[in-house]
Amino acid sequence: MDARRLRFEAEALPHLDAAYNLARWLSRSPVDADDIVQEAMLRAWRAFDGFRGGDIKPWLLAIVRNCWRNAGADSKRRAQTALPDNDNVLVSESADPERQAAQASESRRLDEIIALLPDEYREVLILREMDDMSYRDIAEVTGVPIGTVMSRLARARAMLREKWMGSYA
Amino acid sequence: MSCPELLRTQAFLDGELDGAAAAQAERHIESCAECQRFCSDAANLSDAIREQASRYDAPNPVRARILGALKPEGAKSAPRRSFWSGVAGGVGVSALAAAISFFAVLPPSAEMLAQSVTDAHTRAMMNGKTIQIASSSHHTVKPWFAGRIAISPPVADFQDEGFTLTGGRIDKIAGLPAAVVVYSHGKHQIDLFVWADQGSNLPGDSTSHGYHVLFWKKADLDFAAVSDTDKTELKKFVGLVKAEPE
Repeated sequence: MDARRLRFEAEALPHLDAAYNLARWLSRSPVDADDIVQEAMLRAWRAFDGFRGGDIKPWLLAIVRNCWRNAGADSKRRAQTALPDNDNVLVSESADPERQAAQASESRRLDEIIALLPDEYREVLILREMDDMSYRDIAEVTGVPIGTVMSRLARARAMLREKWMGSYA
Repeated sequence: MSCPELLRTQAFLDGELDGAAAAQAERHIESCAECQRFCSDAANLSDAIREQASRYDAPNPVRARILGALKPEGAKSAPRRSFWSGVAGGVGVSALAAAISFFAVLPPSAEMLAQSVTDAHTRAMMNGKTIQIASSSHHTVKPWFAGRIAISPPVADFQDEGFTLTGGRIDKIAGLPAAVVVYSHGKHQIDLFVWADQGSNLPGDSTSHGYHVLFWKKADLDFAAVSDTDKTELKKFVGLVKAEPE
């Protein structure tokens, strides 16, 4: 048995969905997300011996983020701002089709608002709200001081509130 | 964003503060309308993101390609194991926002309170929606309430005494928003309901449909503990909650 591989599978692979979700939200493109997350997992696999314990998730997501930044140059040239498609929007259990449609459109609108946040705000928001990460972990993933994480998060929430709730006030 | 304490309020809400710092932030929030609004907006956004925003799982082909690429040269294929099952999605937090409203009505009667608490507990047990925020840490559960309800319930862990904090939810008691702190005791669940006192007389201790309910008041809050655990155990739990400094 390859002990290193078993350890990697047990420690890193449970975070594959989180890695993919982050890649998808950062790149805003399913095609790019596939490439980014594959590249990131392979880099993590190669660098795994250098990982010295602790919580692996921020370490792994930092690699995902770096791969996205490196891929950024290519994507920018293509100048695509593909918004998330909604093939896997959560569908409510409600049997009322009108309500379902309304909820689906709400979800789509929220997705679009998040997708349009500037990168540095979108990433802290995703890490905090979807990955439940601590400020320290978010700082590790994004490579900025904790104070910057805090102010970006506050700004991200303010922007989101304005766009999401503002129109409902 | 003008309140100089806003980042501290946010840190409290995100479960980053504990002890004295958390208490200080809480005191500030009580007296700052801007921070209260921030808490409630941030809680609404957080619920909306968890419930409605898309969450993308790695597609199976991507997973398969990664697993394939990890295989060392010449190695036999590793046994498939269910590594994917442990990745929990977001907590299914319901969109019950803190309805901070004041009704100029008569305080609910004791009978109404007794009925309402039992109803709320059984309803939650039956539809399985007893927990909106699942956490055994009071650093997570307490701030969760801050953005969603205008009262600050005592949240503590009595693990050493056999009562384990498991989470919380927002519910309604006689039309009033109530914080519910959820504990487990062996196989039993204990719901601790906390709502703003309306000057009601509280019902006496009761047992109905196998659930024991104990009521008490403390400061400007009403409490009810409900469980199908042994009544002596429930009384022990209530003793611990009462002894908790607020």
